[in-house]
Amino acid sequence: MIDQFVLVYADALGSFFTPEALFGVLIDGLAKASLYVMIASGLTLVFGLMGVLNFAHGSLTMFGAYLGGLVLVMTAGGSPTDPAALGGFFLGVVVVFGALGLLGGLLEWGLIRPIYDRPPLYQILLTFGLALILDEIARIVVMFYGIQPISSWQAALATKPAILGRTYDLGPTSVPGLDLFQIGFGLLTIGFIWAFLTQTRYGLYVRAGSQDAEMARALGIDVRRVFTVIFALGTGLAGVAGMLLAWDQSWGASVPLAAETLLPAFVVVIIGGLGTVRGTVVASVLVGMVDAMTTWWFNEAITFTGLPEMFLFLILVIVLAIKPQGFYGISEVGGH
Amino acid sequence: MSLLTVEDVHTYYGKSHILEGVSLAVDRGEVVALVGRNGVGKTTTLRTIIQLSPPRSGRVTFDGRDLTGLDTHAVAQAGIGWIPEDRRIFDQLTVEENLRVALPPSTTIADGLSVAYETFPDLQEHQNRNGGDLSGGQQQMLAVARGLIGDNELLLIDEPSEGLAPLIVKRVSKALARAAKESTVLLVEQNLGLALDLADRFYVLDTGQIVDSGTTAGLSADSERFRRYVLA
Amino acid sequence: MALITREYARDHLIHLLVLAALAIYPAVYHVLTNGGAPTGMVALLPRVETMVAVLYFGLFAMSFDFISGYTGYLSFGHAAFYGTGAYFVVLVANGKVPLLAPETPFIWLLVLAGVLAAVLALVIGTFSFRLTGVYFAMITLGFAQVLYVFMRDWEYLGANPRDGIAVTGLTEGFRIGVPGVDSLSVAIGQLAGEPIDLFGSTLGASTVSYYAVGLVVVVCYIAMQRIIHSPFGRVMIAIRENEARARAIGYNTFYYKLGAFSMSAFFAGVAGGLFAGFRRSVTPENGYYFLVTGDALLASIIGGFGTLAGPLYGRLFDEGLREFLSKSGSGGGLLVFLRDSLGHPAMETVVIGGMTVGELVETFLNGHAPLYVGIVFVLFVLYVPNGMVGTVRDRLGGTCAKQLPAWLSDRLTAIVTAIRERVSGVRH
Repeated sequence: MIDQFVLVYADALGSFFTPEALFGVLIDGLAKASLYVMIASGLTLVFGLMGVLNFAHGSLTMFGAYLGGLVLVMTAGGSPTDPAALGGFFLGVVVVFGALGLLGGLLEWGLIRPIYDRPPLYQILLTFGLALILDEIARIVVMFYGIQPISSWQAALATKPAILGRTYDLGPTSVPGLDLFQIGFGLLTIGFIWAFLTQTRYGLYVRAGSQDAEMARALGIDVRRVFTVIFALGTGLAGVAGMLLAWDQSWGASVPLAAETLLPAFVVVIIGGLGTVRGTVVASVLVGMVDAMTTWWFNEAITFTGLPEMFLFLILVIVLAIKPQGFYGISEVGGH
Repeated sequence: MSLLTVEDVHTYYGKSHILEGVSLAVDRGEVVALVGRNGVGKTTTLRTIIQLSPPRSGRVTFDGRDLTGLDTHAVAQAGIGWIPEDRRIFDQLTVEENLRVALPPSTTIADGLSVAYETFPDLQEHQNRNGGDLSGGQQQMLAVARGLIGDNELLLIDEPSEGLAPLIVKRVSKALARAAKESTVLLVEQNLGLALDLADRFYVLDTGQIVDSGTTAGLSADSERFRRYVLA
Repeated sequence: MALITREYARDHLIHLLVLAALAIYPAVYHVLTNGGAPTGMVALLPRVETMVAVLYFGLFAMSFDFISGYTGYLSFGHAAFYGTGAYFVVLVANGKVPLLAPETPFIWLLVLAGVLAAVLALVIGTFSFRLTGVYFAMITLGFAQVLYVFMRDWEYLGANPRDGIAVTGLTEGFRIGVPGVDSLSVAIGQLAGEPIDLFGSTLGASTVSYYAVGLVVVVCYIAMQRIIHSPFGRVMIAIRENEARARAIGYNTFYYKLGAFSMSAFFAGVAGGLFAGFRRSVTPENGYYFLVTGDALLASIIGGFGTLAGPLYGRLFDEGLREFLSKSGSGGGLLVFLRDSLGHPAMETVVIGGMTVGELVETFLNGHAPLYVGIVFVLFVLYVPNGMVGTVRDRLGGTCAKQLPAWLSDRLTAIVTAIRERVSGVRH
């Protein structure tokens, strides 16, 4: 019994340290890291500037998945061709970013702005209530159209084009097309955020406001308008992340997607150090790699199904126990 | 008509009453010093003027316009620059970025920056360093430069010499003199000698009230008039 | 002596009134649902089974408020303690816990569930209290989620741990009362509970469970209330108001926080034990998941953060609304009420988009209580940030227990004086 146990692990260990396995894990990890960057970057931007940990972020990702899925079904439903599906995807990105950005801007302006003078806890609580409302609205609408809200929306998943469905020979192993697409899209998003923050006047205002909002105001910057813009940008990014998930078999558009993406986003943002984009990228890569590795071990040797998810939260606990402010965290934002 | 008037303002932090009816006026082109011991409300007076700590009663007008209750960014856009006591440089931004934050959207960046670098050549040398890596004196220059390029008619300068070595204070005071030539200044300063050097007039603040005022002509730092409320 | 007793009674008048109201609720519900009141009112009344859930979850919400509302440290992984209490009770009954026989008296199980949760809190707290603010909330969330995933997928627990575990090793109900003495204890549970004959009338299983669970909850409430009003509790509040100052005065705040955390976990564990004892099953989702903590937070904010009793009322509101909008509509609820009061034709009237009134209710209201709970929650955060009990407190200028009697007697005196004046005016 024990011998057999050891044998399985020794065997697995042997096959883990082969170029094929390592490269496969690397690509899988990068693809997962891209997804984590996507679902967490908007949260980080909002927290860095406003000190609001947005509990509705996952719900907005879920909205994005459904809305993006709808665009995909309308443009490429039935028998998807590659150009139709890819065209639908990029059209969907624009639609989702615009619609969710607008929704986010309205929510910030109408609900969060009136309570900025209160302790940060109340803004966090408000987003918690918003998450309840948004999730239930999604459930009502989805059920109204006869779609099962708990499991992934199959019609949207089915629009995945063939070029992303097949695998590609790359170095020592073959890689799923969707992984490469996700990695590319993740890099594009990081590039977009980096350019926004460093190359635009608004980005400069955001960085100044994150460090010292009072001084920024005294220099003539309407920080509250910057808040609204950033909240809109953050929710737009959340929505686009959801759109990217609509093609992924292990995620897909569903109402529980809200909580399923919110928790990993929290983990990534917290261990990266609240509010730093650089920290979020580093944390995403770490979490993505650990996720890919534990997924590999689960598939090959360990029978405990929750292994990758448990490691996600273990990383959170361990990083915070060692570095209480995360990797790049500065001092506390907001009191306790 | 005065450029800036403060009329009978009362300001609170929570329940504590900090300014108990402060009134003062600054004319265009003047340099006015606000002096007094620690904790009497000098910084709060400046914060009240730019509406970071809005008064509960009383009025602040600038160029005939009532500022009371406006948002701080609107006050800043009206032409008032604030150079706060701990300088409040954006640590993580470069020197150049710190300056660009202060530029009004209407000014071209190159013009604004060249004004700052002409006045403070030191800053150009360090333009790509992070604000947090500068020395105290350099940070103070940067803070003054931020105020100068902001297209401001009035500068509120809080304790510019605080925490600086005497040699650096000399250079900062030269910078201030240059600033004073270009705009109207309301200066809060512990260093009485420096304040009297720069200012045309002065107000003395004690526990939230103006207790004395006058012109600085012929007055020295150890004058009897300062003995009671400022010195000791 | 008499004076002291009177003052004490006066201070606790509000407690006694609430207790009395809770005590007569089953009787009131029984009378009203059996034709004593219009259907509209009955539709709003939660069933007695629901009230049992209000009690045990209310205890959990109060334990959450005990640490989060009084020390200011948001324990966002509080479900870890509730889930542990619940799983512990079911696992012992199924013979899965070494050294503990399935027949171990339930009262001992409750105490052990609390102790287990308290020890777990010491471990989690030792790591977590080096952090503050959002980071503290998140590390406790991390611990709870690790446990959630572990209990969800650990095959030792049962055949299909993802669907939770149920009591299978024991057929009789868990008994609350003097351990081991059947005549001095009662069995709880919807089906496993037993009706009792008392003074010539029969109390149903739910009603018996309601009183038994209620007794434990009241004892726990009194314990927490006494701790809050002890010197220890004053240090907890000092930590919330200004921790640096509490430390400067010489308190080792780390140990106070850890102690308070452990105590609150004890009561959360007891609450989880009561929950499992009554429901005889638990799932990862209703035991350990982070939204369980979210529900406690919801109850605390609506009822009043940092008021201890408030979360119970908050939970009452939450459960009441959920039942009112429940799909089944058994025992009242909106759908039954509308059907009864509007009649069949009205329900079939087409309103908009070809949908009838009945379909509209079905689509937008039934089973969608979280939407309306969420809206109410957001309105509370915006306009009633201190919650129900907190707002009443602010109006009265002190805790309800202390101020309400004085406020009432002031009003009464004023009314009496006014009447006297009027009467004497008439006489003259």
